[in-house]
Amino acid sequence: MTGFTLNGKPVSVDVADDTPLLWVVRDTIGFKGTKFGCGIGMCGACTVHLDGRAVRSCITPVNAVAGASVVTIEGLDPQGQHPLQKAWVATQTPQCGYCQSGQIMQAATLLKDYPNPSDADIDAVMNGNLCRCMAYARIRKAIKLAAAEMRGASA
Amino acid sequence: MSRLDKLQGDAMLASLMSRRGFLIAATGTGVTLAFLRPGFAASDAAAVPVEQAFEPTIWYQIDRDGIVTVNITRAEMGQHVGTALARIVADELEANWDSVRIKHVDTDPKWGIMVTGGSWSVWQSFPYLSQAGAAGRIALIEEGAKLLGVSKTACSARNGMVVAGNKSISYADIVRKGKLARTFTADELKALPLKPAADRRLIGVPTQAIDIPSKTTGAARYGLDAEVAGMVYARPKLPPTRYGCSVTSIDDAEAKSVKGYIKSIALDDPSGTVPGWVVVFADSFYAADRAAEKVKVVWTTGAAAKISEKDILDHGVKLIEDLKTGSMVVNDDGVDQIFSSAKTTLERSYTTSTVLHFQLEPVNALAFENNGIWEIHTGNQWQSLILPTLAKALGVGEDKVVLRTYLLGGGFGRRLNGDYSVPAALASKALGKPVKLVFTRADDARFDSPRSPSVQRLWMAFDENKKVVGMEHHATAGWPTQVMIPVFMPKGKNGEPYDPFAISGADHWYTVGAHRVRAISNDLANDTFRPGWLRSVGPGWTNWALESFIDEAAHFAGVDPVAFRLGLLDAQGKNAGSAPSAVGGALRQANVVKRAAEKAGWGGQLPKDTGLGIATTFGQERDMPTWSACVARVKVDRSTGVVKLEKLTLVVDAGTIVHPDGALAQCEGAALWGASMALHEGTEFVNGQVRDTNLNSYTPLRIRDVPELDIEFIPSSEAPVGLGEPATTVVGPAIANAIFAAVGARLRHLPIRPDAVLKALKPA
Amino acid sequence: MVKRILIGLLALIVLGVLGTFALAWRPAIAPIDRPAASSFPADLVARGEVLAGAGNCASCHSAPDGQAYAGGLGLDSGFGIIYSTNITPDPDTGIGHWSAAAFVRAMHSGVARDGAQLLPAFPYTHFTQVTDDDLKALYAFLMTRTPVKAEEKTNTLPFPLNIRALQAGWKLLFFRKGVFQPTAGKSEEWNRGAYLSEGLGHCAGCHTPRNALGGEKTRAEYAGSTIDGWLAPALTSANPAPLPWTQDDLYAYLRSGVAPLHGAAAGSMFDVVHHGLAKLPDADIHAIAVYFVDRNGSAALADNKSALLVKTIAFAHRDTGDEATDAGAHLYQVACGSCHYNNSELPLPARPELALSSTLTGPDPSNLIHVMLEGIGRDERMPGVYMPGFAKGLSDADVVTLASYLRRSHSEQPAWADLSGAVASARGIKHQDKGNP
Repeated sequence: MTGFTLNGKPVSVDVADDTPLLWVVRDTIGFKGTKFGCGIGMCGACTVHLDGRAVRSCITPVNAVAGASVVTIEGLDPQGQHPLQKAWVATQTPQCGYCQSGQIMQAATLLKDYPNPSDADIDAVMNGNLCRCMAYARIRKAIKLAAAEMRGASA
Repeated sequence: MSRLDKLQGDAMLASLMSRRGFLIAATGTGVTLAFLRPGFAASDAAAVPVEQAFEPTIWYQIDRDGIVTVNITRAEMGQHVGTALARIVADELEANWDSVRIKHVDTDPKWGIMVTGGSWSVWQSFPYLSQAGAAGRIALIEEGAKLLGVSKTACSARNGMVVAGNKSISYADIVRKGKLARTFTADELKALPLKPAADRRLIGVPTQAIDIPSKTTGAARYGLDAEVAGMVYARPKLPPTRYGCSVTSIDDAEAKSVKGYIKSIALDDPSGTVPGWVVVFADSFYAADRAAEKVKVVWTTGAAAKISEKDILDHGVKLIEDLKTGSMVVNDDGVDQIFSSAKTTLERSYTTSTVLHFQLEPVNALAFENNGIWEIHTGNQWQSLILPTLAKALGVGEDKVVLRTYLLGGGFGRRLNGDYSVPAALASKALGKPVKLVFTRADDARFDSPRSPSVQRLWMAFDENKKVVGMEHHATAGWPTQVMIPVFMPKGKNGEPYDPFAISGADHWYTVGAHRVRAISNDLANDTFRPGWLRSVGPGWTNWALESFIDEAAHFAGVDPVAFRLGLLDAQGKNAGSAPSAVGGALRQANVVKRAAEKAGWGGQLPKDTGLGIATTFGQERDMPTWSACVARVKVDRSTGVVKLEKLTLVVDAGTIVHPDGALAQCEGAALWGASMALHEGTEFVNGQVRDTNLNSYTPLRIRDVPELDIEFIPSSEAPVGLGEPATTVVGPAIANAIFAAVGARLRHLPIRPDAVLKALKPA
Repeated sequence: MVKRILIGLLALIVLGVLGTFALAWRPAIAPIDRPAASSFPADLVARGEVLAGAGNCASCHSAPDGQAYAGGLGLDSGFGIIYSTNITPDPDTGIGHWSAAAFVRAMHSGVARDGAQLLPAFPYTHFTQVTDDDLKALYAFLMTRTPVKAEEKTNTLPFPLNIRALQAGWKLLFFRKGVFQPTAGKSEEWNRGAYLSEGLGHCAGCHTPRNALGGEKTRAEYAGSTIDGWLAPALTSANPAPLPWTQDDLYAYLRSGVAPLHGAAAGSMFDVVHHGLAKLPDADIHAIAVYFVDRNGSAALADNKSALLVKTIAFAHRDTGDEATDAGAHLYQVACGSCHYNNSELPLPARPELALSSTLTGPDPSNLIHVMLEGIGRDERMPGVYMPGFAKGLSDADVVTLASYLRRSHSEQPAWADLSGAVASARGIKHQDKGNP
């Protein structure tokens, strides 16, 4: 049994220790917002927060998160109204939407580190998140919009 | 022309008329079951049981609260198609947009052919959805007039209300209180007065896409998210080649150490879709994945195990040089005479590499039998194509198979070919349980129906004034339509069938004198893998060759590439254009070329080793032209051969734009796909398999590679045409032409790699 | 004549062997009945627990799937596999029959209760320095563990190394018995650090290279060594870290597992920090830091640290011009940049700056390769520092490409030789104890 906190609630799962967190979150527990894309940590669709930072859940074995706090897209904001989520809607960023949970979770870490990110910051931090629809220009715009709102809110 | 689009549109209308007609009547008690299956809805619409609803056509219904639910038969894969189609209905219906919902429906014969591709959705749907909306509006006005006690001529409809002077009644009240019983014959329907463009209130007006909010919260449900009680997971074990493999033995001794492993089964496939497949079952996907790595299968392999990319390209060259092969798609009189009497001629060859779809959601399907009906839960773009195959594989009638609809984690044409659902169905049948078959990324890449490598050769004949007097374009590649649905292949001038999707684009709108277009199926490609329709399909390579060649011809003729194109886009003869969708013809293409050049600062000063290149296209098909032009600005590093794409300027005339922001998003994505296939991605076959199966070596464009984008639509009220693909096909040649403008290096192979640029830079 | 010489030689060898055996002979210490756990005062047991951590006993004396202290972990000695023993108080398979005196003798002299010589894989060469007082606390802790019945596994040492008596000869060469003596002129804190590091901590066990017979090279003390396929870096002035390790850095590293301007503990050092030293009081961690900062001479370099930081980062962030052509650069941008990117010379603590990591500047690439493949475990002492392993997604060739790119772009060191070989051996050796399988 591995226990951890998922979206603020304690969970305990009885799966093989090396089961990727991705499948535990999706299939064992049932939060489907986190997606499977490449399985090797290079597309970012599976990005969740581990102790508050973005991590690729497809290559994170569940036993590595024992006792940790894991947050998925469903837990980013109770109403789905995180500034990033609002900015994603305002800029009409998602196309097929499959990568967007991961994009948003990665962007949250970006803004935590760099509240006013430059294009270079966005490129470097978000480059690991593939958007096959190539909604990149809007992802960039949405990040800046959310960053402005978050800076305003904290000012 | 017996083109697929015609077949599709006619079949849909036929089905509409014969099976359902346009009965305008309140239905009895009805419940929209799809919304009551949790997690099964692809749309955001709320689950609303409908007690008594007004369902004037199969395309939508209005319930007692005035909620208009539009049935969407097209797959949602990022194009926000439901929003665009619902806007078409709602505009004519004069519905209140806030009351409009969308419902992505499961397969049912009543929908006619279900396909989402070819950039057709809006173009094909616009006429009948407009009529359906208008029919509803007229019926509501008539009944509303009765309820208000006024003449129907005194009434108008607006914003979900029927209004007569200072009296009004809502659609909801009409549905609740009225007796709606109006029928329209097909002729009446066609004669319905549609609104003039100036009166449109929703079409062309900015709005937010209905599908977007749930895609930011994790609530959106894709095929991979489908679940049913009692299902087991499975991963396929793919044979070494796409065809011709059979299983000799399966040894799962090692797999038995994996907790949760159930068993491995070699599939018996009467449909021949997945020869030599083994499916590994377990109680979780991870266990199936791990077990599959440990299961050892021995196969007899197909001949393709010895075929590599170069073999396919070399074979293409042979086919092109063998003039007995292929289909004459265009064959004007006198081509040979023109060439033999020409003052000068130009000949060039162009090639492209294999491209993977790499849609981010690996293909997957959940299959199970439910009360004698086989349910297939998956994301799919062409349900009507795979349904008969599924029926054959399962040995049941087509009426015993239903495809449930989910969002697609990317389509790009991969899911036009629903072959991945067949092994899921077979696996479920073999195991006797619901089976969720999930492909790993590498499985997905290996089982992809990739864009075929292509070989093309073009010739141009000039007179003594360097005026163009003749042109030939010969193209060969694997043919997806031949492999997957040969009945959709029309015959060329020489009676030979051809895949329209593999040659469209070569039948351009330039006036070039005597013109010949020859399409040749590369049988070695078809035997090695299953060629696929990949975003823009044939124009993805034909326009690469055509627009590179036109550029070379311009330089050969000593004319500026923009001026050269404008000279050929004279809208004379067959290029004059015609209703319904190609009004204006080549003049509209000339217009986007001019506008793009102007916006991009064509002819201005540029820094060293920086260049502008132009390319243009009419999109996917001559009778659905999306007039597009692109100027690329690149900077070339002469020491490394690296091409930095700095800016793309696109101008598009797609007629009426229904959902402006959705249209823009489609062009942004399509343009970057073009850039990705030009500079970043691409793979090749090695011994019957694609070389790159995951992101460690397959390298699609990422955020750091995105150039500045400037995209403009020409305002128009002409018929709406397709937008999902055209921008893809102009970017590659625009980049190659820009490289030539920057440093004088001519690249004739896609993708363009730095070493090829370096090689082209070396003085000959 | 020749015959006579041969006979003489043979006699000498026989005498030598007999002598060794004579030397090796130690009496057994009488077995005792296992003392009741309640016979040990709680505060003594608690102190013993801290010391057991300082000695990181559990790390070697627990098998991956076994119970703590029950032994059974295989250690590749280079000569053969040596299995650790059961040190729970099980009377039959553990140390339940051992008296305190027997325990102290084993720790101080490398002799088991029954008089057998212990192999130097058990670092009594260091434990000999531990005071009787501390050993009694340690004994109290071990004897109050739950007894586990776990039969000893048979070592795979070849003849003659499997003759325990021969260990006496080894001891003659490499073992100096004696409890720690403070160095005059050094502070009390320094001496406390030295006592912990040289004694129970047995830091040199990994960080000092060994000679052909497995003895620590006393002349190359802390010069760095390879252990389980990982590089235990030099703790002298030869330490490869781009920035000098200050006392604060070292304290942060040993306390939390991560030093912002250096990196995180990985491999067996992950275990040392997060399981071993975890219960050691702050003062002791500070003392260890004081001791090593003195040994590595970094105090002298500390003034230069800011300038060095700026220079190092500036170099790593330079435009190499080959970003678009280098497959390694591409892999970095796809797999690494989202966490490791920093936009200035002041790296964020949560964004480990690879240019500051000794994995990139060290003499061999093992640690970098291990971390790329296996990642870095998570611990609540260093929230957010977790790194998943990329073993599944990076082919061997990818690892070579990425490692050589990182070395070239982020350090000014010459290219590593035989990266492919290093990748192959890293793939073969999986360290079991770093908290991230």
